[in-house]
Amino acid sequence: MALAEPRKSAVQPTWVERIPAIWWALLLVLLTMPAWANDFILFQVMGWTFVLGMIALSLMFLAGYGGMVSLIQMSVAAMAGYMVAIFGASGVGDISMGLPWWLYIPIAIVIAAIFGTVVGALAVRTEGIYTIMITLAIASAFFYFTRQNYTIFNGYSGFNLVVPPQLFGVDWRQPMPFYYLTLGCAGLCYGAVVYVSRAPFGLALQGVRDNPRRMAALGFNVTAHRVASYTFASVIASIGGILLVWQNAQIAPGTAGIPAVIDILVIAVIGGITRPIGPFIGALIYVLLRTFSPDVLLAFGLSGERFKLLVGLGFLALVFFSPDGVLGLWERWRARRARRRDPLTGGEE
Amino acid sequence: MQGFIQRNPVWSLLIALVVAVLLWLVFAPWSDELEEVLGRKRVFLNAIFGGITLGALYFLVASGFTLIFGLMRNVNLAHGSLYLLGGYIGFEVSEWSGSWFLAFPVVFVIVAVVGLILQNQVFRRMEGEELRQTMVTIGLSVVIADLMLWRWGGQSYTIYAPDMLFGPMTLPVISSVRDSGEIVYLKYPAVRMAILFAAIVIGVGMWLVLNKTRLGMLIRAGVDDREMLAASGVRIQYVFLAVFAFGAGLAGMAGIVGGTFQSLSPGEDTRFLLASLVVVIVGGMGSIPGAAIGALIIGLSEQLGLVYAPTYSVVFTFLIMAAVLAFRPQGLLGERR
Amino acid sequence: MTETVPAGRLSSVSSGNALELRGVTKMFGALAAISDITLTVRSGERRAVLGSNGAGKTTLFNCVTGDFLPTGGTIRLFGEDVTRFPAYERIRRGLRRTYQISLLFNGLTVADNVYLACRGVSRGRFSFLRPRESDALIARADELIAAVHLQDWRDISVANLSYGQQRQLEIALALAGAPRLILFDEPAAGLSPTERSELIAILQGLPGHIGYIIIEHDMDVALRVAESVTMMHNGTIFKEGTPEEIENDQEVQELYLGDGHA
Repeated sequence: MALAEPRKSAVQPTWVERIPAIWWALLLVLLTMPAWANDFILFQVMGWTFVLGMIALSLMFLAGYGGMVSLIQMSVAAMAGYMVAIFGASGVGDISMGLPWWLYIPIAIVIAAIFGTVVGALAVRTEGIYTIMITLAIASAFFYFTRQNYTIFNGYSGFNLVVPPQLFGVDWRQPMPFYYLTLGCAGLCYGAVVYVSRAPFGLALQGVRDNPRRMAALGFNVTAHRVASYTFASVIASIGGILLVWQNAQIAPGTAGIPAVIDILVIAVIGGITRPIGPFIGALIYVLLRTFSPDVLLAFGLSGERFKLLVGLGFLALVFFSPDGVLGLWERWRARRARRRDPLTGGEE
Repeated sequence: MQGFIQRNPVWSLLIALVVAVLLWLVFAPWSDELEEVLGRKRVFLNAIFGGITLGALYFLVASGFTLIFGLMRNVNLAHGSLYLLGGYIGFEVSEWSGSWFLAFPVVFVIVAVVGLILQNQVFRRMEGEELRQTMVTIGLSVVIADLMLWRWGGQSYTIYAPDMLFGPMTLPVISSVRDSGEIVYLKYPAVRMAILFAAIVIGVGMWLVLNKTRLGMLIRAGVDDREMLAASGVRIQYVFLAVFAFGAGLAGMAGIVGGTFQSLSPGEDTRFLLASLVVVIVGGMGSIPGAAIGALIIGLSEQLGLVYAPTYSVVFTFLIMAAVLAFRPQGLLGERR
Repeated sequence: MTETVPAGRLSSVSSGNALELRGVTKMFGALAAISDITLTVRSGERRAVLGSNGAGKTTLFNCVTGDFLPTGGTIRLFGEDVTRFPAYERIRRGLRRTYQISLLFNGLTVADNVYLACRGVSRGRFSFLRPRESDALIARADELIAAVHLQDWRDISVANLSYGQQRQLEIALALAGAPRLILFDEPAAGLSPTERSELIAILQGLPGHIGYIIIEHDMDVALRVAESVTMMHNGTIFKEGTPEEIENDQEVQELYLGDGHA
């Protein structure tokens, strides 16, 4: 079972990959977006897409390359967000320490990564569907704990007024700066996952996914490899989590509630967990649905609150008909196009 | 049992010790020094009984979950939705008919039919694809939750117990001794005792069916080795249908119970799904006695935690789960796969 | 950064025993798959293990590699007690094995498979850096691919290889790093006569310091590549000796060669 697509061998030099034209076009569109899109699109649609995409990307890395469907990623992200609120500044002066940004950001990422690693170490003791059950159970424990604990997590109300630092004289929460910030981070995380997937670590992880017993017989410590992949994924999730708390300007237990945890899985699966770009596609679809479905539903005479129903049904339909997500649909469609090429252009596009 | 004691003498001793201390704490009258350390005995007793009753409720939900998992290797993450659906329907039925007892058979049948449809129309189509089944149940739980929110709204409902079970009953357990020497016995809501009693009856019944009947033999054979059962010519689909329907119906009835001694509102579905998850992780996947022990442990730890360390009661549950995972990943009574 | 196991470790092996089993037993429930196996293989020795199906040969391999922990007995590898070691620790000490049913990474290319095998027994298993073209391990992987005659299939996904090619790739994986003792589990099964002679050539061409144990049903193959033979029957060792002794042994004839093989 190969969840991730087979690519060119890592043994070849992959430094100068030939990047298809469509990627350059996408890059151009993304970079120039602030020039032609309004603030709402930049902040509410694209910002959310990148943030949720990053968290879902960390799930994709574990599920697609490691074969471990972990539902803890949202909690790891929220942990990073909480740490930013606790070590940085927030509206809750009693708890927040107000450290400088160059201190609290690394602290937040390190603590969240440790959290993710510990959960991973527990989860890898079992396999397959057990991983889902166990990570879901731990994620819910995290939710209830943050809701009950007032000394560290400030209980039910959480933290408000958590904003990015004023760096280089820029207010990073303004739509355009925030757009570029999230775009940059998302691009970095995406690049990192693509790169690592062909590095020894990523290759070995895919080996572990396909055949753990054989990997052990090749000298690999399968358990350590799995746990390390949780660490790597947690770093990505925690970057997403920090941006998430800045986007919301607040964090509360509900940020990592069970619906949010499930949403991340839905996003990754809708997009497709076989490729790193999938989670971002899934996030865009999800955010568009969430933002505009009330209007559409109202237009059809239904209550705008039925957004979840729409997402759920869409998810169900996708799992039924295309287990590899929208990307899978797209690839099958392209394969069919390729078989009967366009008579006018002779090309696939 | 004998074998367990022989294999794990240290653990057996520890377990026996804990049980003995708990029994002594429950039945012996507390001295003043003890009350100073642990607080009022009445509080402790209430926590213990509350924990056992909560454990009984958890068992009702989790036993169906673990049975379905054990036989079909299907993690039904819509199990909590079946619980809440059963609760809501039970509320409607008892409001409409005025009979609490009538709600049980009605809910059992309706939710069991929902389970039949799920098994026959959804899971059968993707047999063996564990991950896809799990995803589908997640999707279903999202859809069902939203449909229920649509129909019943965001407020919380409580189902009223019948007069017969209303009010407290006196238990033969000493709550405290007055200065005058008069012994005060513990008073406990009758409906909760009824729930506990029902859970024990159902648990023992399930155990008997599983161990003493032909159907139970088939189910156990299926848990151990599905291929063998399928190859032996048994119409395994019927066994699957029966188990799924029964597990679903049980979850539905648990919804009435939960709606009676707690309340029904959106979000309870995930709460009970998670409780079931934790219970079967602790007790061992696919094991009915495991579900019973897991439910008891989790129920007790939640209630005792709530009384003695309110901030950290969730942490206790979590620590128990983490410890089990760390030392016995297959669960207390689970079989190593 | 990515050098293989230092060559110094090779020279220290030439003396002593590669593998010593003492009273190794593996129970599955109440059933003993192997019982009380005591066996010594010298460094560089080439041994064949024969026996009918269910004689416990593969279970023996699984115990030696650490896929299963034995129920009783001790296993010493190159003089070190490894009875409770996990599989990867034994592999890193110079043990290798192939599987009866090819266990390869079907989603990856031939080169990736061999590269992983080389990586598994060297440092940098957790490296986040992609290998460069000049990487010594890539060169080593290419040598191995050439050694099993798969250079033309280097960038082909393993799923697209023929059965015989997958068997050859299995051997390449076992040769990665600096093996000192290799366990071959029926490497010739399902191969064509040409592929068989190629296999024999590969085995006979192995450097002298590499010992191996081979499970093989084909007596022609087994007796041509082994210096000594162990016969197993019902989970125990039944006979040990040189190929000639075993071939001419009356009991062995009756037990093993009698049923259609002779």
